[in-house]
Amino acid sequence: MDWLEFFRGPMFQIALLVFILGMVYRFLRIVLMGWKKDYSPPRGSAAAGVVKTYVKGLGFLPFLPPKFPGTRHRPLTYIAGGMFHLGLFVVIFLSTPHMEAWRSVLGFGWPTLPTPFIDGFAAMSMIGMIILLSNRIVSPVGRMLTGLGEWLNWIVVFLPLLSGWVLYHHLFGMPYQTIFAIHMFTVDWLLIWIPFSRISHFMTYFITRTMHGAKFGRLGVEP
Amino acid sequence: MSATEIIDQQALNFFVKNVGAEVASQLEACTRCGLCADACHFYISTGNPEYTPIWKVELLRRAYEQNYTILGKLKTAIGLDKRIDTEDIAHWAVLDFQACTVCKRCSFVCPMGIDIAGLIGKVRAGLTAAHATPPKLMAMTKNQLEKGSPDGSDEAKWAAWFKWGEEQLGKSLPMDVKGADSLVVFTMLELNSFRNNLVHIARIMNAAGEKWTLSLRARDAFNMGTVIGDGAVQKKLAERIVKVAHELGVKRIIVTECGHGYVTLRQAAHNLFGETLPFDVVHITELMGDFVRQGRLKLRKGYFDNEHRITYHDACKIQRIGGNFDSPREILNLIAPSSFVEMNLNREQSFCCGGGGGVRAIPEAYDLRMEAFSLKAAQMREVDATDVVMSCSNCRLQFKEGFEHFRIQGEVKGLVEMVAEAMIE
Amino acid sequence: MTEKTIYESMVERGLSRRDFLKLATLMTAALGLEYSQLPKVVHAMENKPRLPVIWLEFQDCAGCSEALTRSHDPYLTKLLFNDISVDYHETLFAAAGKQAEENKERVMDEYEGQFVLVVEGSIPTRDNGVYCTIGGRSAIDLLEEAASKAMAIISVGTCASFGGLPHANPNPTGAVGVHELVKDKPIIHVPGCPPIPEVITNTIAHVVLLGEIPELDALGRPKAFYGQTVHDRCPRRPFYERGQFAESYDDKGAKAGWCLYKLGCKGPTTYSACATIKWNEGVSFPVQSNHPCLGCTEPDFWDGGGFYKSLAAPPGAEAARGAQAGFASLGGAALAVGSALYARKIKQKAAEEFKAQKKKEA
Repeated sequence: MDWLEFFRGPMFQIALLVFILGMVYRFLRIVLMGWKKDYSPPRGSAAAGVVKTYVKGLGFLPFLPPKFPGTRHRPLTYIAGGMFHLGLFVVIFLSTPHMEAWRSVLGFGWPTLPTPFIDGFAAMSMIGMIILLSNRIVSPVGRMLTGLGEWLNWIVVFLPLLSGWVLYHHLFGMPYQTIFAIHMFTVDWLLIWIPFSRISHFMTYFITRTMHGAKFGRLGVEP
Repeated sequence: MSATEIIDQQALNFFVKNVGAEVASQLEACTRCGLCADACHFYISTGNPEYTPIWKVELLRRAYEQNYTILGKLKTAIGLDKRIDTEDIAHWAVLDFQACTVCKRCSFVCPMGIDIAGLIGKVRAGLTAAHATPPKLMAMTKNQLEKGSPDGSDEAKWAAWFKWGEEQLGKSLPMDVKGADSLVVFTMLELNSFRNNLVHIARIMNAAGEKWTLSLRARDAFNMGTVIGDGAVQKKLAERIVKVAHELGVKRIIVTECGHGYVTLRQAAHNLFGETLPFDVVHITELMGDFVRQGRLKLRKGYFDNEHRITYHDACKIQRIGGNFDSPREILNLIAPSSFVEMNLNREQSFCCGGGGGVRAIPEAYDLRMEAFSLKAAQMREVDATDVVMSCSNCRLQFKEGFEHFRIQGEVKGLVEMVAEAMIE
Repeated sequence: MTEKTIYESMVERGLSRRDFLKLATLMTAALGLEYSQLPKVVHAMENKPRLPVIWLEFQDCAGCSEALTRSHDPYLTKLLFNDISVDYHETLFAAAGKQAEENKERVMDEYEGQFVLVVEGSIPTRDNGVYCTIGGRSAIDLLEEAASKAMAIISVGTCASFGGLPHANPNPTGAVGVHELVKDKPIIHVPGCPPIPEVITNTIAHVVLLGEIPELDALGRPKAFYGQTVHDRCPRRPFYERGQFAESYDDKGAKAGWCLYKLGCKGPTTYSACATIKWNEGVSFPVQSNHPCLGCTEPDFWDGGGFYKSLAAPPGAEAARGAQAGFASLGGAALAVGSALYARKIKQKAAEEFKAQKKKEA
C-alpha cells in the first residue's frame, strides 16, 4: 500500500472516527456542564432573536454591510475573516471532488460549481488567511492573543488549502500522487486536530450564537 | 498555605464553581481574533492591547482550561500556561475594574456571539472573592449595606430630600401607598447631583395620572453587589426594594436615571430569588414613552428647537441591554424635531460614556475614563452637536466631568428634566 | 546473430539512403526527441551495432505481447522485428522447449552486458518462487541470471513494473515488480494494462538504437510518454472544468460526452499518453469510448478503492460510515458523560472549599 492509499484509506477512516468521536465528546461535554434557568420575564421573543442573530451573523461575510462601522483595525480583520470563511465553505462544499468525498460519507450529493470559481474562492480563502496571520503578527492585540495553539491551527487549516491548490494546478512538477497524498495527509491531520483545538469553533459557534440570540432576544434588544 | 495562596485559591475556586455550560461554551468558542478590541472604548482611545475585552477574561479562561480540560492540564504541566497567582489577580483587578465599564459593546461585536462583558462580570466576582476589588468600591459596598446608600447617605438625608421635593412641588409626595401601581425608586446620584429629578418625576407622574408611591425603605436602586459581582450583597440590596414592592402590592417598579439598578432589578433579581417576581421593572424612559404614546402626557412640539444641535447618548444598561431605544427618540422627535441629531454610532453600537460599571467611583481610573470619554466627545463633534441628552445619572456626571476636563462648551441634559419642562400640565 | 548496423541491414534489404533518413526522422519523432536530435539518431543507426533483445515472461497474461503485435506504426514494428533482433520471446518465438532455452543462454553469454532484457509479468517471491517456473527454474532465478548479464531492463506492463494484478491485495504469490529484486541495473518502467503498443516499441527502440536510457519520471517511466496525466490531455477536460458530469452511463451527460469523473475516472492521477497516442491506430481510448480511466499505469491500481468509485471519495470514508460512525458517536457520548460527572465533582469540591474558606473569614 502506498502513501496515497494509506492516507485516503485507513488513515482517513481513523481521522474521521477521531473527528466524530471528538466532536460528539466536545459538544456533550460543554452542554452537560449545567445550565441555569433564567427566571426574568421575557421582553421579546428568544426564538426571533436567534433567527435575527444568525441573519446578522451573515453580515460578517465580506461584501455585505458590516455591523460596526468606524473603528480602527476592524474592516481588515472582518473582511479577511469573511473572505477566509466564505472561501473555505465554497471550496469544502461546492467543489466536485469535495462533494464526492461528502457523498461517500453522507450517502447523498448536491450540485457543484465549475472549477474556475472554486479556484477563485480557494485563492480568496488563502489570501484571507494570510491577511489574518499578518494581523496576528503585526497588531499588538493579535500578538498578545496569539499563542502556540493559534499558530498550529493556522498551519493545520492552511496546509490542506495550499496542497489542494498545488494539486489542482500541478505546481512544482510534483507527481500527482505525491501531492494528492500530501493533500490527503493534511486533511486527515486537520480532521484529527479539530476536536483538540479551537478550530472546533464551527461547532461551538452554533451554541454561542444561539445563546446570544436567545439572551438578547429575550431582553428585547437587537441581538 | 500562605495567606496569599489561600486568596488565590479562593479566586480559583470561585471561577471553577461558577463554570457552567454557558461559560464553557463561550470560552471554547473564542478564536482569539481580537475583534473585540475594536469595540472597547478603552482600547480604541489608548491603544493598549491589554484592554482587549477577551484578555480581561484571561483568568477565567485559565481557571477553566486548567481544571476542566485535558489539554489545559497538559499545557500547565509543560509550562505553556501559568496557574493564577497573586500578581495576576492584582493585575487583572486593574484591567477588569478600572478599564472596563461592562458596557457590553464587545458582546455585540464578537463574531462568535460571545457575551464577553458577561464573562468579565464573572471575573469581577472572582476578584471580589479574592478581596482584590478596588478599596473604594468595597467601602461603598460597606456603606450601602450599613446606611443604605454607597455614599453613606442615610434615611434622614433621603427624608430631607423628599421633604425638599414636597416644598418645591407645593404638594405632598405619596409615601408607602398600598395598592399604588408604581413604586418609584431613585438613586443616590440624583439625591446628590440631580435633586430636581425628584420634582420632575413627581410632576410627570401626577400629570399622567399615575397611581404611584415612594418609600423610604426602598429608596436607592443603586446595587453595589452588581458592581463588584457579589451575589450575596446583590440579593440583600435588591431584597430591600423587592420586599417593599411585595408589601405595597405594586404592579411595577419604576427605576429612575440609574442604569445598573434597572438591569439588576429587571433581570438579575428574579434569578437571585429563584422565581419570576410578580411585578414589572420599568425604566423611567420607557414609562415616559408609554405615557406619550398613550396620550397621558402632552408635550409641547418643538419646545427645545433652537440653533444648537442636540444629540442623544445611549446608555449601555438602559439602551444596549435594556432595549429602550425608541422611547427617547420618539420624545426627542416631538420636543426637538429639528435640533435632534443622531450620533454616527447610536443605539446598540453607541460608545459607552467611559464612567459606568463603577469606573467613575474609582479615583485611580480618572485619566483612563477621560481618555475613553474623548471618543464620546469626538462622536458629538462629528455631528456638530453641542448639547447632549441622556437618561442615566452616572453618564450625566461622566459627561459633565468630561466637558470640564476637555473644556467643551455645551449642555448635558437629562431626558426627565426636558420632558418635565416641555410638558403641558 | 550479426554485428551489422541498422543502416547496413537496410541497405542489404535494398532500401535507399532516402528511406533510411525518412525512418530516422520518424524515429526521432517517435522517441519523443526534438528534431535537433535527428543527427544523433542517424549517427546511432549508422554506427551502432544492433543490440539483441531478450523478452522474458513470468506471471503474466501475455496481454502486453499481444499489444506489441498490434502496434500500428509500421516502421517501428518492422524495425523491431526486422532490424532489431528479438532473440528470445516465449510467445512469439518459433523455437520451443530446450532449443529456445539454449538459444537464450547463448545470446546472454555472447552479448553479456550488451543485450536489453524485457520483462513481462510479475515475479512471485513467496515459497521460494514456486508459483512460476520455466524449465524447472523459478522466475526469481531466471530473472536474476538474465538481469546480471543485461545492459538494461525494460519492465513492460504494470505487472513487471509494479506487481500489477498478481500483486493486488491479498497477493497470494508474493508477486513483486522487477525493481524490487534487481537493484544494480537501469530499469525502465513501461506500465499499462497493457501499455500502449507504440509506447512499448518506442521505448525498446530508444534503448536499442541509441544505447541509452530515456529520461524517466519518479516512477521510472519514460517522461516522453508518461509526462502528463490522462486528465490533462483529456478531450473531455472542458466538461470537468465547467462542472458538467455524467452521473450514470446512459444519462444525458454520458450521451453528450461529459466528464466521467463522478463515475470513477482515474484520469487525474494517471500518467499516460492514452489521450494523445490512443489505441488501435489512433481510433480511440477508454474515456473517449465512454468508460472511465482505470488508472492502469499507476502502482496498485487494483487496490485504489474501486474502478467505479469517484477518485475523490476516500475509501476510508465509506468504511467509516454507518456502524463505525455510530460507535464513535456513542464512544464520544460515553466519554463526555463520564467526563461531565468528573467535572461535576471538581465543581462541587471547589464550591465546598470556597464555602469553608468564606466561613473561616467570617
